[in-house]
Amino acid sequence: MEERDIALRRQTYRLFVELGRAPTVDEIADITRLRPIDVASGWRRLHDAHALVLQPDRLEIRMANPFSGIPTRYRVRAAEREWYANCAWDAFGICAALQVDGRIETSCPDCGIAIGVDVREQRPDPAEFWFHCLVPAARWWDDIVFT
Amino acid sequence: MNLFRSEGHIKKWLNGREPGATLTAVKLSELADAWWHDRLATDWVPHTRDQNRAILDHLGLIGDFWRLP
Repeated sequence: MEERDIALRRQTYRLFVELGRAPTVDEIADITRLRPIDVASGWRRLHDAHALVLQPDRLEIRMANPFSGIPTRYRVRAAEREWYANCAWDAFGICAALQVDGRIETSCPDCGIAIGVDVREQRPDPAEFWFHCLVPAARWWDDIVFT
Repeated sequence: MNLFRSEGHIKKWLNGREPGATLTAVKLSELADAWWHDRLATDWVPHTRDQNRAILDHLGLIGDFWRLP
């Protein structure tokens, strides 16, 4: 991965954290002083490198793992802000990436009952819940949104 | 990749489908910390496959299911 793309990714993630949502091409162009067309090209290269995931039909961020660009069943509150995570792994990953304590709000996919987990020093409280991953690691990127 | 109330809820949700991998919330948290902790670091560079493999190995996540492409 080229340094220019790493820098673009860094700015994209930084603004994602700050805004609590996926930044737009124009917002990134404003802070990087790049042309929107160059932001778009960089995002496409980052998408191809699995460094972020774009929507299939438009130039918007679907995933900047562990953050989600769209609302999901995994809501994370930390550092007085909120983000959506792509999955349970990513929900814990937001606290890990921010290196802060936080709270995950979701619901059991089986029964729909609400689940709330506090994350303190990267440990869950309560610790009684279970994680299930359906897709083997070798196939995660075959369809990362489904995974 | 979901969080469930119990192993029983996972079994009910699968409804006869082939199960994948099941971890405790504590193990998931350890995995997330190892996998994502550097994601916002100013000197971040992509993990290599070997780095990711080492994370999984360290946590005992081995076998065909956890084999990276």
